[in-house]
Amino acid sequence: MNKEETFIRLIKKNEGIIYKITKVYTHTSNDQKDLYQEIVYQLWKGFDSFRGDAKVSTWMYSIALNTALLYSKKEKRRGYNISLDNVFLKEENYDPVLEERLKIVYSQIKNLGDIDKGIIILFLEGKKYEEISKITGLTVSNVGTRMGRIKEKLKTYIIKK
Amino acid sequence: MELEEMQAIWSQMSDQIENQKKLTNKLIMEMTQERFKNKIGIISKYEGMGALICFAAAILILFQLSKLDTWYLLISGIFTIAYLIFLPIYILRSINTMKRINIISNTYKETLIEYAKNRKQFLFSQRLGIYLNFILMIVSLPVIIKLFKDEDIFVTNVEVLYWYIPIMTLFLIFFSKWGYGKYKRLTASATKILEELQEPKTLS
Repeated sequence: MNKEETFIRLIKKNEGIIYKITKVYTHTSNDQKDLYQEIVYQLWKGFDSFRGDAKVSTWMYSIALNTALLYSKKEKRRGYNISLDNVFLKEENYDPVLEERLKIVYSQIKNLGDIDKGIIILFLEGKKYEEISKITGLTVSNVGTRMGRIKEKLKTYIIKK
Repeated sequence: MELEEMQAIWSQMSDQIENQKKLTNKLIMEMTQERFKNKIGIISKYEGMGALICFAAAILILFQLSKLDTWYLLISGIFTIAYLIFLPIYILRSINTMKRINIISNTYKETLIEYAKNRKQFLFSQRLGIYLNFILMIVSLPVIIKLFKDEDIFVTNVEVLYWYIPIMTLFLIFFSKWGYGKYKRLTASATKILEELQEPKTLS
């Protein structure tokens, strides 16, 4: 299997991960599509440096989160966009109850600071503290402490609402 | 919403996304081509154009430096040239440093730290630019009048300086106050990120 085929297989297997990250770090669907392209582009750029000894998901989350973080800090500059309209994952297929609850989940995550945002995504993705620590570069105990704080923040947010 | 509830919703969404996968091979490979302007690597056209204008002006003055026939005009001319060359280089370098963050091998924490540090440096260069611009406005006036009208403003039109300098000073005070407020806010947010990345104390 050549490089392209391996990469395509990898993206196809993990396209949901990219989708969820882009959703958290953007506010409009255009920006989301733009960021999606940017992440795939950065993954391709870094594909040669990826070695089988690291876990694929660790490598992928790391690049995707870094790209999303910097993207969210940049001012908007339009460039050439590939039309993803007909193939982009659609939320319209969700049931309305789930959609409503998802909106709450996203708005709560978006309210968190940059560091906590990255941690909560990884936590919700089912990552253990050790893997979150590897991806984020924070120590395991730091991740644990931050998770405790995030829980508190989420509770406070509900009370304020 | 409790964290456990969030987890349940997230996992429900993940399952639905898994069933909707639609990316084609062609589309994925299209995304790997740098056919669109990639946001993270671009140098702002405004800073780039500004630098070009500055360099062109510096060259123009440099070739006519011999026209500046008094010591004070010569010093003003040299200061203007130095400013027009070095400040744009300094600002472009600050921007470039921001764009050199290694997305591929950095951890999330390293990216955040580099971003916050570079941001602070960039803001400092912008702030420095605000102050220096006003000095340039005052210093370059005699040079421009000498080069384009062949007049020494200190001899023929010294009264111009009586209103030009106070007006420029007023502008300087106004813009510096405005610029400093903005600078302080933006720097504070970068500093906050750096502080947050310190090991937090355990919850009591």
